[in-house]
Amino acid sequence: MAKVTIKNLVKAYNDDVIVKGINLEIKDGEFVVLVGPSGCGKSTTLRMIAGLEDINEGEVEIGDRCVNDLQPHMRNIAMVFQNYALYPHKTVRENIIFGLKKTRVSRQIIDERLAHISTMLQLENLLDRKPADLSGGQRQRVAMGRALARDADVYLFDEPLSNLDAKLRHHMRTEIAKIHKRVQTTSIYVTHDQVEAMTLGDRVVVMQAGQIEQVGTPMDIYLNPRNIFVATFIGSPSMNLLSAVYDAQQQVFKINDASVSTELLSQVNTANLKDGDQVKIGIRPDFFDDERFTQDTEDYWQLKNIMVDLVEPLGFDKEISFHIGGQYVKARLDLRSDIQEDDPIDLVVDPNRVLVFDAETGERI
Amino acid sequence: MSDNIAAQEARLGHRLIAPAALIIALLILYPIFFNLYLSFFDVELNGDKSLVGLNNYKTLLSDGGFYSALWTTVIYLAGTVTGTTVLGLAVALLLNQNFPFKNTVRALVLLPYFAPVISVVFGWQFIFDPVNGIYNHVMVEVLGLVSERQNVIGDPDSALWVVIVFDIWKHFPIAFLLILAKLQSIPSDQYEACAIDGYNAWGRFIHVTLPECRFVIGTVVLLRMIWNLNRFEDVYLLAPNVETLPIYIYFQAFTGVIDQGLAAAISVVQLIVLSGLIWFYVKKVLNW
Repeated sequence: MAKVTIKNLVKAYNDDVIVKGINLEIKDGEFVVLVGPSGCGKSTTLRMIAGLEDINEGEVEIGDRCVNDLQPHMRNIAMVFQNYALYPHKTVRENIIFGLKKTRVSRQIIDERLAHISTMLQLENLLDRKPADLSGGQRQRVAMGRALARDADVYLFDEPLSNLDAKLRHHMRTEIAKIHKRVQTTSIYVTHDQVEAMTLGDRVVVMQAGQIEQVGTPMDIYLNPRNIFVATFIGSPSMNLLSAVYDAQQQVFKINDASVSTELLSQVNTANLKDGDQVKIGIRPDFFDDERFTQDTEDYWQLKNIMVDLVEPLGFDKEISFHIGGQYVKARLDLRSDIQEDDPIDLVVDPNRVLVFDAETGERI
Repeated sequence: MSDNIAAQEARLGHRLIAPAALIIALLILYPIFFNLYLSFFDVELNGDKSLVGLNNYKTLLSDGGFYSALWTTVIYLAGTVTGTTVLGLAVALLLNQNFPFKNTVRALVLLPYFAPVISVVFGWQFIFDPVNGIYNHVMVEVLGLVSERQNVIGDPDSALWVVIVFDIWKHFPIAFLLILAKLQSIPSDQYEACAIDGYNAWGRFIHVTLPECRFVIGTVVLLRMIWNLNRFEDVYLLAPNVETLPIYIYFQAFTGVIDQGLAAAISVVQLIVLSGLIWFYVKKVLNW
């Protein structure tokens, strides 16, 4: 177990800078998820920690030791790869203990560890099979087992669930969370899937274009995104962004013919706003409520007589589409709101949940 | 409709391969059976034959020349097969790295394989020429490793080694080509996983490269054995005094005291060994 410190890390291929000087401190035993769209540098960052990519500038420390010049096999890390990277000519048993054998522990410890891992991952009946004879989910579990068998300082996960079908992905996500709870080893997990990021991470690192946009707990990232990128990347369906103009005289944000008063949005600091400034008003679909089922709505943003364009039932939830000030908006309501297309509905929004961003810079106001 | 499309296609297929099958039968199967037939006869120069049963085989078993040729063939096979495989693997590993002009170098490495044997044989004979050859010049005058100039190709013992080195040089590109193709298909994450599992470059070679290349190396070894058991032209042109089995058969059948019956018997022995190798290849290696 060890902490991991990343200082001013830079990676460039010729003139193409992939990772642009990031800093991150991962505490001992912490589960940190690097999340971001394709090409944001998250996998490259992980591979630099693993030693699979050279570091152009900056430092990676595991424990208190700078590992920049250490080969991967000298860093005492374990990694789960996206394509599992199992050794095809070795059996499941040999795959799992392959790294362990190298550490020169006794035969007895190897056997104990193998028994423990194979029970935990339900691999007991597969130990003599070759990877080619396993299903995708089974291979994934073997890859996990191979990493867990080692007493590594840090576990690295490079999109380990992205090749599984939705159901299995969900299952394995829960398994990974359980395993981490049990072993409490420092883990760094790369994914483009925001659900994995939210559910697994003690902290989430949102990356874009080689830079860290925000680091925080999942709920912090969800409720207090620092900018439009983080706000829209995390959360599904994506946050609604309404183009609005600040009217200093009337103290409102005008969304074409609709408006919301700044008094209502008391958490928004309007001190630096000038009359006519362009802003984006962000409301997550989850934060719209059906007025009929919400109590104490006096302080809420009231949206009366909204015409519903489209209803998409999802079982317990339903997504409805409508317009505010001529702009397209999605909301998620629950089972109780029995609403049909082209029907009117009264909606309310908790103003504390409404975020306002600078339209030009994308930063939170 | 008794005639479905599959049956029609099968008939067309048979018709299409019929000419090739006929040619193979005439050029290969007929000589094989005729050779087997001849091996039981004493063949006169004028073509008269008298049945001698297994006598040719008995003669063979007491013929020192046959054992000598067999031993030479064993050394020749061991040297060439090991040499081409090891050199092919080494060059493939080297040229699988990234460096400038990689493709040009890869193409150049293939040249010996494509060069006509007769022209390169003359080149090699010239290299080892006792009077004008660079080999003797370097060994005697430059390095002083040998006290006097030697006719390396003239002496059958040393000529065997020249023939082996020549074969390795001429034929390692095919091993290189097959192994390189396999190396390029090994997923890089296997090496990465192995590195993270704590193995250095040598460990990764042993645990990833070699197992992945097992099939192709097996193929190279067996194909080279099959080819070189039959190899005639390289040896005969470069140093006909190196009597491997094919050369020995040729001498028995067409020079000196011509004994085609005996030559046929030796060919049968060679055929049996070859069949064994091919059986092993088809049954074992292809199933790896």
